[in-house]
Amino acid sequence: MSKLSIPFRLRLSLTIVIGIGFMKTGAWLWLGIYGAIALLWSFWLRAPLRTLAQLLGAELLFLSLLVLPQGWERASFLLLRSLICLLIMNSFLLTLPPHSFGIALKGLPLPAGLQEIVLLAGQYLEILLAEVNRMKRSAQLRGLSGTGGWLRYASASMIGALYLRSLDRAERVHAAMMIRGYQGSLPTDSKSTPKERLWVTLAILTAAGLTIASYSNWA
Amino acid sequence: MHIPDGFLSPPVAIATGIASAAVIAVALNRTRASLGLRQAPIMGLTTAFVFAAQMINFPVAGGTSGHLLGGALASVVLGNPWAATLAMSTVFIIQSILFADGGITALGANIFNMGLVGIWVGWWLLQPLQQLLGGSRNRLPLAAGIAAALSVVAASVCCAIELAISGTVPLNIALPAMVGVHILIGIGEGVITGGVLTYLVKVRPDLLPGEKPQLQKWLAPVVGVLLISGVLSLFASSWPDGLDSVAEKYGFKDKESAAIENPTPLADYKVKGLEEQPIGTSIAGLLGSAVSFGAAFGIAQLVKPKDV
Repeated sequence: MSKLSIPFRLRLSLTIVIGIGFMKTGAWLWLGIYGAIALLWSFWLRAPLRTLAQLLGAELLFLSLLVLPQGWERASFLLLRSLICLLIMNSFLLTLPPHSFGIALKGLPLPAGLQEIVLLAGQYLEILLAEVNRMKRSAQLRGLSGTGGWLRYASASMIGALYLRSLDRAERVHAAMMIRGYQGSLPTDSKSTPKERLWVTLAILTAAGLTIASYSNWA
Repeated sequence: MHIPDGFLSPPVAIATGIASAAVIAVALNRTRASLGLRQAPIMGLTTAFVFAAQMINFPVAGGTSGHLLGGALASVVLGNPWAATLAMSTVFIIQSILFADGGITALGANIFNMGLVGIWVGWWLLQPLQQLLGGSRNRLPLAAGIAAALSVVAASVCCAIELAISGTVPLNIALPAMVGVHILIGIGEGVITGGVLTYLVKVRPDLLPGEKPQLQKWLAPVVGVLLISGVLSLFASSWPDGLDSVAEKYGFKDKESAAIENPTPLADYKVKGLEEQPIGTSIAGLLGSAVSFGAAFGIAQLVKPKDV
């Protein structure tokens, strides 16, 4: 597990991903350089390779359905670009400590109002998924498993029940947070050290350089 | 419907980005006062709920799958389209930045299509539809289901137009393809939205808007006009009208003069490039209604007494 702080890791990951996002389509050399940076980043964070490969495989399947009608050359570039972005962000997500997804989201450069929603959404996503697992387990205990089991999840009433159960828990969690002094933000380590700020600045300059270079006629 | 990087031209990406940012800024301003202690968990959970729901795809025809957009559902549950705008925008930001679902350069367009159009079309349709169906709370799921289905189709129309303007795919291919698939996805969206709200109406009616929602005076006629010109126009008879029929029957149809060349791109209630597509009639109808309304409103402003 990396010793770097969560907001710092997020900012570095975002810098690379945004740089890749604004690249010129077809600039293979610069994409290659970004790819090397992504691999180094993933290695540095010590992302679990097996889980990473499974995630990337599933996500690329969906992406390929979208981009293949664009023609082979364009599609392969778009796919590789998406793969590099996914590699960076999944490496970041998979190396987060438990229950810190919300705190990580708090590091996104967003207005204060959106940040609170992002923070709560991150917290409640864990509650929602825990509730899904509980409902799944109770359904299995009642003998509702088998080949047609997926039909349960297509039932809108189940979705409604899931929403209400999660809401009950979310309200309890929120009340507990308020009692503990929550006022729209968590005491996260969002204050960057001068050294971290220097590294982020360097990363932004590097990404900007690579992205701008992708629009030049060089290579 | 998440547009990836590389599908949009820079002007389209920038324009939709600015539009989305402006609406988000207004939404933040409008919801700051109304986001009380009670509302915060609902807001956070609805965001998480829509995020999770968008990860589950259901199959539609032709080897394609769709997922719940959740804009209309979020606006009903939160009882406020501005709050829903923030919740949906948050979902798309997280999806784009952390999961590469939808491009970063296309984030503005994705928020605009699925967030803004998806929410506001659903919200504007919901109230007149609920009134039309009797106005009781029990009719809310049906009204919301129809509104949600139509909002998905509206979002797909915007997406197709953006792709066409960007030069990614011609409009006469993008529009029928996108709308065709999203009519099916819209049905799924409508069923899920209606089903969830049916459950909530029975179990937690306090979460939902009241019996008689505040209906703005202009909303019902405007929505009615848009439904007639955009949807019912698809079922218009293709037979010639009275004069055309007589002209054909008695053989003077060929005297129709083309001396004055009509430059309109909407001739015969069709859109150039979409002459063979029913959706062209819809667009022509919507544009015609908008122009008629604008002209009438302008004239009314000119001729009304100054002291009114």
